Amino acid sequence: MKHIKLIASLLIFFSIVTPLFGATDVSAFQSGTTPKTPIEHFIVVMQQNHTFDNYFGTYPGANGISKDICVPVSLSNEKASCVAPYKITNEPISDLSHSDVIFAKQFQNGKMNGFVDALNSLNQNGTLTMGYYDDQDIPYYWNLADEYVLFDNYFSSAHTGSITNRMFWVSGRAGREFNRIPEGGFGDIPTIFDKLQERGISWKFYIRNYDPSLNFRKLKELDYLPPQIQWVPLLSFDRFLDDPELSSRIVDFSEYYKDLENGTLPAVSYVLLLGATEHPISDPGLGEKATQTMLQALMQSDSWKSSAFLLTYDDWGGWYDHVPPPQVDDRGYGFRVPSLLISPYARKGQIDHTLLDHTSILKFIEENWNIPPLAERDAKANNFTSAFDFSGSPRPPVFIAATREVPAPRVEPRRIVIYAAYGAAMLFAFLILVRAMTAKENIQRSSYEPTLHEEIKP
Amino acid sequence: MNLRNLSILRERLTQLPKNPTLVRWWNRDRETTARIVSVTLVMCLAAGIRVWGLNQIGFNTDEAVYSGQAAAIAQAPVLSDIFPVFRAHPLLFQFLLALLFNFGVSDLAARLLAVAISVATVFIVYRLGSLLYGEYTGILAALILAVMPYHVVVSRQVLLDGPMVLCSTLTLYLLARYALTGNPIWLHAAGIGMGLTFLAKETGIILIGAVYSFFALSRDIFVRIQDLIISFVLMVLMILPFPISLWLAGGSKVGQQYLIWQLFRRPNHTWDFYLTTVPGQIGILVILLAIAGLLLLWSERTWRERLLLWWIAVPVVFFQIWPTKGYQYLLAIAPPIAILASRTLIRWLWVENPFSRSKQLSTTWIRALVGGILIITLLSSSWQTIQPATTGTFIAGTGGVPGGREAGEWIQQNIPGQATLLTIGPSMANILQFYGHRKALGLSVSPNPLHRNPAYESVNNPDSDIRSNNIQYLVWDSYSAGRSSFFSDRLLQLAARFNGRVVHTQTVTVTLEDGTKVEKPVIIVYMVHP
Repeated sequence: MKHIKLIASLLIFFSIVTPLFGATDVSAFQSGTTPKTPIEHFIVVMQQNHTFDNYFGTYPGANGISKDICVPVSLSNEKASCVAPYKITNEPISDLSHSDVIFAKQFQNGKMNGFVDALNSLNQNGTLTMGYYDDQDIPYYWNLADEYVLFDNYFSSAHTGSITNRMFWVSGRAGREFNRIPEGGFGDIPTIFDKLQERGISWKFYIRNYDPSLNFRKLKELDYLPPQIQWVPLLSFDRFLDDPELSSRIVDFSEYYKDLENGTLPAVSYVLLLGATEHPISDPGLGEKATQTMLQALMQSDSWKSSAFLLTYDDWGGWYDHVPPPQVDDRGYGFRVPSLLISPYARKGQIDHTLLDHTSILKFIEENWNIPPLAERDAKANNFTSAFDFSGSPRPPVFIAATREVPAPRVEPRRIVIYAAYGAAMLFAFLILVRAMTAKENIQRSSYEPTLHEEIKP
Repeated sequence: MNLRNLSILRERLTQLPKNPTLVRWWNRDRETTARIVSVTLVMCLAAGIRVWGLNQIGFNTDEAVYSGQAAAIAQAPVLSDIFPVFRAHPLLFQFLLALLFNFGVSDLAARLLAVAISVATVFIVYRLGSLLYGEYTGILAALILAVMPYHVVVSRQVLLDGPMVLCSTLTLYLLARYALTGNPIWLHAAGIGMGLTFLAKETGIILIGAVYSFFALSRDIFVRIQDLIISFVLMVLMILPFPISLWLAGGSKVGQQYLIWQLFRRPNHTWDFYLTTVPGQIGILVILLAIAGLLLLWSERTWRERLLLWWIAVPVVFFQIWPTKGYQYLLAIAPPIAILASRTLIRWLWVENPFSRSKQLSTTWIRALVGGILIITLLSSSWQTIQPATTGTFIAGTGGVPGGREAGEWIQQNIPGQATLLTIGPSMANILQFYGHRKALGLSVSPNPLHRNPAYESVNNPDSDIRSNNIQYLVWDSYSAGRSSFFSDRLLQLAARFNGRVVHTQTVTVTLEDGTKVEKPVIIVYMVHP
C-alpha cells in the first residue's frame, strides 16, 4: 500500500512537474501574440525573377555593377569576346532559364563568369542576362530605396527556381523534391503559418486574382503548372486545403483593402500579386504599380504606424549578378535578389549589407512573435532588425513618387528682388507723402462755402 | 499765505475765463477733444465690427491663394512648394503679409493685417470728408464706411481689394488736397498714391480715368503739364516693382499668361450682377442720400462732387462692361458714396427751409432720425453679414468657407504626405492646399489653356490618374456642387467607380426654416484606390 501511495505520489508529482520542465523552451514562445517590436503587422510581397544587379546594379552606394565587368560570351574561349552590363531600354526581354543546372553553369564555382555562356548553350539570348534596369525603368522602387531600406546582400534561398525558394519562404526547408511539387503535396512539412495558427497569431495569404479551385490536386488534370499553384506553396498542402481554419486564411487580394479599412490587417501577411507579376516577359512597371497601390493603401490606414512591408523576389530568373552567393548547404544560397523594407520604423535611405535570404523573413517573424525556428536554415539565418530604428516615433506616412523624373529645375523666384522692389516702393511713397504733409498749406480755393467748421454752425 | 494774497488769487481765478485767449483755447480744446473722441469711437467701432468673429471661419479660396503667395514669398515650409509666388496680381499686400509670415503662417494674423488696413481706410475717409465738407461730414462719412456691410465684409478678408481701396482713397484725398491748395506736391503725391493703388491690385489703375476726367472737365482746377508729367512719372516709378520683380525674380512668363487669360476669360456672372448685389451691401439709404444730396444741393455744386462722382462712375462703368465680375470689384466706390451721403445728411438739413418756422428744432430731429436709421440699418446688416453662413451655400468674396479650414486641417493630420486630392473645382482645392498642405486638383479646371487660370493644373483623365495612383482622395463639397452639378456628379461617379470610402465628413450647423439646427455635411473626403 505504501508503495502504491509512493508511486501515486510520484506520478502526481511528475505529472505536475514534468510539463513545467518540458515547457520551459516552449513557454518562451507561447507568451502571447504581442510582438517584441512595435511591428504588429508584417507584410511580405514576393515577386519573381530578378537579381539585385538587374534592378539596383547602378544604385548609388549599393554593391552594384562595377565598370570593369565583362562576362565572356563563351567559356571555351574566354578572351574572344565578352558582354558588359548594359541598360535595357526598350529591348524586349524573355524568360531566361533559371534551373539549378543553369545556376551551376553561371556560378562556375564562384567565378561568376558563365552567365552568358550558360544561356547561349540553350540557344537563348545569353547577352540579355547582362541587361539591367535603372531609375528610369523602375522609378518607384528606386524612390522607395531612397526613402527606406534597400538590402544589397539578400540572396535567394536556393539556387533554383520559384517552388523551392518559396518553400524556404514559408517553411525554411526546400521541400521534398528539388523545385518540384510532389504528387502528394508537401505533406506534413511545418510552415510558419502552422505555428502562427497554433499561437493564435493572425495571418493571411493574399492572392491577387485568386482562383480557389486551383491547387496541387488539380495538377493531374492539367498539362501545365499554373502560377498560382507554383507560387503559393500552401496550395500544395492537404491541410491548408481541407482545414477550414487554415484554408479560410488564403484569400483574394481584395480582402487586403477591406482589412486595412476595417482595421483587421493580420499580424503576418504574405502576398502574391498574380496579374501584376514582374516575371519576365512582364513589364516591371506592372509590379511597381501594384506595390505602389498596396503601399499607399497601407499608408492611408491606421495599420501603417505599426507595420513593416518587405518586397523581395523568389529567384534570380537567369539574370546576371556579380556577387557569388555563399553556399550554406547543397541547396543554396542562390544569387542575390532585390529586397526593400518599407516601414515607419525603417531607417531612411539606408543600404543594409546584412547577409539575408528568404529564411530571414521567417527569422523576423519568429523573433518578433516568439516562435521557435522551423528548421536549421531559419534558425541560422540573420534577422534584418538592423534595418529598423525603434528608438523614435514612427515616421508619418508620405506617398512616394512614382516617377524618377528630375523635376524641371524650378525657377525659384529671387525673393530678395520682391522684398527690395516693394520695400523700396513703400519707402519712396512714405518719403514723398511725408514731404507733402510737411509742405506749407496754402489753400487757394474756397469755392465751397462754408468750409470746414463754418458749416457746422447753423 | 495771507488774506490779501488769497483775494488776489481769487480775483485772478475769476478773471481767467474772461481772458479772450484762454476762452478760445478752452473752447478749441473742447472741440478738438470732442473730435478726437468721435473719431476714436468711429475707429473703434470700425475695428470692433471687423474683428468680431474674425477667425471663426477659415479662408475662402482667394484668401487662401493670396496667403499662399505670401507664404511662398516668405518661403514657408510646404506651402512655398504648393503655391506659386507670381499669379495675376502685383504683390504689395502679399509682400506685407510675407513680412508677417516670416514669423509663422497664420490666417488670423493675415486677417488682422487686412482689418488694420480697413480701419486705416476709414480714417482716411474721415480726413477726406473733413477736407471736402468739414469735420461733421468727415466723421459721419467715416462712421458710414465703418459700418457699411460692403466694406466691412470685404475688407476683413485677406483680399487685395481692401488694400487697393486704402490706396485709392488716399489718392483721392491727395487729389482733393491738390485741388484745394494748388500745391503741386499733392499732385505728385497723388501719382504715388495711384502707383500704390496699382501695386495693391492692378485693376485700380482704371481710376486714372477718373483723374483724367476730373481734370479735363474742371476748368476751375488748374494743372500744369509739367506737374502732370512728374506725377505720371512718379506713378510709373511706383508701379515698377511689379514688372521688375516679374522680370528679375523670374515670373515674367507667368505674368503674361495671366494677362492673356484675364483678357479672354469668359463672363462669370450675368450683366445685372452688380445691380442686384452691390447696392444692398452699400446700403440703399446711403445711395439714396448720396443721390438726393447731389440733386437737392445742386446749387452748392463744386469740383468736390465732380471728383467724387468720377471716382464712382469710372469703376462702375468699367466693371459693368468688363466680362469678369466679382462681388468686391466695386469696393473703391464705397468711400466717395459714404462721403456724398454724409454730405447730404449734414449739409442739406442746414439749408434754410422757407416753409419751416422752427427749422432749428426740426432739422436736428430729422438729422438724428435719418442718421440713426442709416447707421442702425447698416450696422444691423453688417452684423448679420459677418455671422457664419448657416445655409451651406456660398458666394465668392463674401467671407470664409465654413468647414474648409477644419477639413484642411483634418487632411493635414490624417492624410499621408505627398498625397494628391481631386476636388470638384479649384476653389476648394485652394483652401485644402492652404490648410491641408497637400496638392489638390480641380476636376472642373478646363483642359483648354485659354479657359483656365494659368495657375491651375487641369485633370485631363481622372480615371487614368486614379488608376495610376496619382490621385488618392476625392473631395466633394456642397459649395462647389451648388455651382456645378455636372462636375459634382462626375466626382461622385469616380468615387463610386474606384471603391470610394468616406474617410472624413465635415459638417456645419445649419438652421432650417422651422428654426431647428442640424449638422449638414459640406465637405466629404473619399479615399479611392484602383
